[in-house]
Amino acid sequence: MFMDIKNLQFSYPKSPLNTVDNFSFTVEKGEVISILGRSGSGKSTLLRLIAGLEMPAGGAFTLNGKKMFCDKTFLQPEKRGIGMVFQDYALFPHMSVEENILFGLPKMSRKDKKKRAQEVLELVELIGFEKRYPHQLSGGQQQRVALARALAPEPELLLLDEPFSNLDTDLQVKIRGDLRRILKKAKTTAIFVTHNQNDAHALADRIVKIKDGKIEKIGRPCDLLGVSPTEIPGMVEITYEELIGV
Amino acid sequence: MNKHLANVNGWTIGAVLIIILLFLPNVSIVTGVFSPVSENWAHIKEFMLFNYIKSSLTLVFFTALFTIIIGLSLAWLIAQYDFPLRNFMKWALILPLSIPPFIGAYTYHGIINYTGVIQKTLRNHFDVTPNPAYFDIMNVPGAIFIYTLFLYPYVYMITRIFLSHQSASLIESARTLGKGPLEIFFKVVLPISRVSIIGGASLVVLEVLNDYGVVKYFGIQTFSTAIFQTWFGLGDLDAAIKLAASLMGIVIFILVIERLLRGGKQFSYSTTKVRPLPLVRLKGRKAVFATLYTVVIFSVAFLIPILQLIDWVILTYGKVPMQDVLFYTKNSVIVAGLGAFLVIVFSLVVGNFSRVVNHKFAKILPKLTVLGYSIPGVVVAVAVITTFIALDRFLAPVYQYLGMDSELVLSVSLFMLISAYVIRFFAIGYNSIETGFDKIGTDFRDASRMLGANSLRTFFKIDVPMMKGAIISGFILVFVDILKEIPLTLILRPFNYDTLATKAFQYASDEKIMEASQASLLIVGVSTIAIFVFHKLLREEPK
Amino acid sequence: MKKSLILLVVAMMLVLAACGSTAKKENGTEKDAVAKKPEKSEVNLYTSRHYDVDNELYKKFEQETGIKVNVIKDEADVLIERIKREGTATKADLLLTADVGRLYRANEEGLLQTVSSDILAKQIPENLRDVDDMWVGLTKRARILVYNKDKVKPEELSTYEALTADQWKNRVLVRSSESVYNQSLLASFIEINGEEKATEWAQGIVNNLAQNPEGGDRDQAKAIAAGIGDVAIMNSYYFGQMLNSEEPEEVKVAESLGVFFPNQETTGTHVNISGAGVVKGSKNADNALKLLEFLTGEEAQSEFASANYEFPVNQNVEPSELLKSWGDFKEQDIPLSALGENNAKAIMIFNEVGWK
Ligand SMILES: Nc1ncnc2c1ncn2[C@@H]1O[C@H](COP(=O)(O)OP(=O)(O)O)[C@@H](O)[C@H]1O
Ligand SMILES: [Mg+2]
Repeated sequence: MFMDIKNLQFSYPKSPLNTVDNFSFTVEKGEVISILGRSGSGKSTLLRLIAGLEMPAGGAFTLNGKKMFCDKTFLQPEKRGIGMVFQDYALFPHMSVEENILFGLPKMSRKDKKKRAQEVLELVELIGFEKRYPHQLSGGQQQRVALARALAPEPELLLLDEPFSNLDTDLQVKIRGDLRRILKKAKTTAIFVTHNQNDAHALADRIVKIKDGKIEKIGRPCDLLGVSPTEIPGMVEITYEELIGV
Repeated sequence: MNKHLANVNGWTIGAVLIIILLFLPNVSIVTGVFSPVSENWAHIKEFMLFNYIKSSLTLVFFTALFTIIIGLSLAWLIAQYDFPLRNFMKWALILPLSIPPFIGAYTYHGIINYTGVIQKTLRNHFDVTPNPAYFDIMNVPGAIFIYTLFLYPYVYMITRIFLSHQSASLIESARTLGKGPLEIFFKVVLPISRVSIIGGASLVVLEVLNDYGVVKYFGIQTFSTAIFQTWFGLGDLDAAIKLAASLMGIVIFILVIERLLRGGKQFSYSTTKVRPLPLVRLKGRKAVFATLYTVVIFSVAFLIPILQLIDWVILTYGKVPMQDVLFYTKNSVIVAGLGAFLVIVFSLVVGNFSRVVNHKFAKILPKLTVLGYSIPGVVVAVAVITTFIALDRFLAPVYQYLGMDSELVLSVSLFMLISAYVIRFFAIGYNSIETGFDKIGTDFRDASRMLGANSLRTFFKIDVPMMKGAIISGFILVFVDILKEIPLTLILRPFNYDTLATKAFQYASDEKIMEASQASLLIVGVSTIAIFVFHKLLREEPK
Repeated sequence: MKKSLILLVVAMMLVLAACGSTAKKENGTEKDAVAKKPEKSEVNLYTSRHYDVDNELYKKFEQETGIKVNVIKDEADVLIERIKREGTATKADLLLTADVGRLYRANEEGLLQTVSSDILAKQIPENLRDVDDMWVGLTKRARILVYNKDKVKPEELSTYEALTADQWKNRVLVRSSESVYNQSLLASFIEINGEEKATEWAQGIVNNLAQNPEGGDRDQAKAIAAGIGDVAIMNSYYFGQMLNSEEPEEVKVAESLGVFFPNQETTGTHVNISGAGVVKGSKNADNALKLLEFLTGEEAQSEFASANYEFPVNQNVEPSELLKSWGDFKEQDIPLSALGENNAKAIMIFNEVGWK
């Protein structure tokens, strides 16, 4: 098992209910998993727990044979080898695109670092933007820089928190396709969070639906959601909320 | 339990150590609350305490109010609009901070009193002898005027840094929702800058509470007066410390109330897409008004007193010994630079601790260090002396081992003075740093750690550069504050260690304001250079 | 940019550290010197006198004797507290204050040791030295009345006490009770007339005040010129300074006022002294004594008199021309230590009668 989470428990201080409740699931290497749920259902929290940015109250988590946490250990986030694309990208405003990407690279020669940066920039099709600062980029470009930055250190696992939520629809569709291509090309295991079933459908090998911090269903996109609405001409795109509301 | 220990790292240890060190001298004051009541206490209570608290509260309330109005309005103008002279005013409006309030008080009184330039000119050139009552600033409103002029930059500086780095989309989205500038100001700007306004205003309040120079000269009786009357007059230091301790109690009370009021309303900035706010260019009458407003404030709070000081320097030229001026200036710069540097380093450690260890205790603990700033400097000085002499006694075997013949080593060195500055001005630096940490939030930190950077690397590569503005403004505030600090410097310095501030005090305390003008002007000069240099540094960062 | 900022900070730190260490080195060498010849090289002063003339005199003393004078200046009470806390380890040798009450207080705390020599006895009259030789006077200042020459005839003035009469309602000016000079004044009345009379006096003055006490002594004189009041209580040397001010308007104000030494027919004008005592545990007591002898010697005394308009304590020295022009006057005849003894009492009276 590449990634294994058992009985994950978490609650924010002062909140009466568990934000993440008895959460268990496994992921195979190279799989792209989508976590689908209403806003407030605990998706971001789950990602932060996997990343090591929050401290779970109980449970265990191993990644590629390494213990990330269990009763006795808690591996600091920087030691986990997990990459993350934040919902609002969190690009360092005082660093150029290239500096942002170089920041996460492990110890290697300056030349190798530059090379790697070029590679990932190429992957996200942003060659020529090295010297720009984040605020000089469009939303879509920022998103791709954030992705390149997260991919550059070749993480064992990539987490993406609603990576398309800040983009307009056209861009969403295009980037969604790009993202799948990039992930598959880099053979990256990825978990991404969304509230939009189209995103989930288009990207995921498997979908985990969660509600109130609990797993509701796990399955392949076609099993869970049926045929993607965007694949049928003339059909309107509806969101997960609308779907649930039916 | 192990998992909790994961959060107890170097930061925590460093921060707790620093807080303990800062707090140590205050302990001897705080315990003063419990000292037995002396025979003077009844007298103090009946004749001093209650009357004096009233004027203290009046001063504090109105000074806070006016400094917020002026500081915030200026910060908003500068952060959001472009108008003639804006770039100059952006940093020039900080300059009044370089004038010690008591020098400001002497200077303003010097300008408008009977022999001052206004009445003199009216009398001699226009043959008008105005009613002297119009020219009396030696009263409570006058003191509020003085404090407001020379303390508003605390609010201005801290709030402006906050606002100008505030995510533009917040304000822009308000604008797209069809809100006018006034509505945006009250509905958006005011609430989001609350933390920095409170931060700046609380510095003002503490400064007013601990000041003695202005109120003594003006003959206003405040809580400080009660402390000094009890000590100097009645010769009862214990009772004076008891009073100071009660003052600390009041300050703690205010802090707690403020925390409670703020409650869960910690504003987190929902976006990390920090983008400089594009300036709105003002035109026509609005531009004239904006320029006029800043010019008036700048003139009244800086230009006019400076011109008067220059006039006095010329008048007393040759009468005041000049040969050692360089020596004093050098001393001032050394102690202020070292003190400010240490305050900022300590603030960063404690600030990061408070942010990372997400616990109520870690948020409130650093706040307690402001206690050292709430009471008159001399009382702090006594506490510091006591601590250092105890330290020297403790280290006596070491000194002997090293072959030193003196029993007092630390307590006669510059070390004691610098430590005292750090204890006193930590609150100022910390306030600025805390605002900085507040502003950047934890998202960038998380992002950095997800990229494999450990806590230390994240701190130096992400936090510190992103907080450059806050760090620099904190440094300037502390630097300037130490430059003009008097009571600690007077008593805690090594022999013969004169600074510009002690020189200014030497003359002013003997009613020789004209002779004090030279040193005062140099304080202003050094501060101005510091403010200007750092302003330049800030501006050259990438857009 | 980032790098240059760091460079700048580092460079500054280096400079500061370098300066700091040289400053400490200076101290170090001084200390070494003390270690070898503790009785020769230096004398450490804690002083609350803030005058340039003092510095000049210390320099002169250094030149003449080779004894280095080290100084810390602050308010007397703070200095006393520092000595108290330092205990026998203190570096202070000599405590100078601008008010005898503070010397009394230091002595009460047991911080002083006896100081006497033939030279001191010769140079300072007995009444300006402590009965137990714990301190000596350096200079005298008188608390005098100044008045508006147009509105007040000198014949109308007589004593401090007379200012409480109804004719002076809304005409009297004096600074706040936080001034140590006012405290000494009232303390002397407690000594001479008793507490009850002293309280009546303070109450009477408060009733006749032309305005709330504000500003310093010089401001009282200016308030007369401005027409706010007609007679003010102030220290003689402040008036001297105004007459010699760089600001022509201040000179004009001072010249428009008359000087009056009150209580000439009765108890005498109130006089306070600036004085000094040798600190107990002093490691350079001999040097301290030498400095005291120097400061009360003729040369130093005439400097005090001319530069600062203080009255010399050394009888062989004439006051400055200005002071002489005011003529001889009768001084209060009370032990000066009484001013210190009654100081706290005076504060309480001020508070009780509402003298701000
Ligand atoms: N820092 C926090 N403190 C307390 N409660 C929080 C915090 N962050 C999120 N929550 C709560 O936890 C729940 C899950 O939030 P989150 O994981 O962000 O949801 P999602 O990402 O699915 O929209 C929500 O009810 C939210 O209000
Ligand atoms: Mg979320």
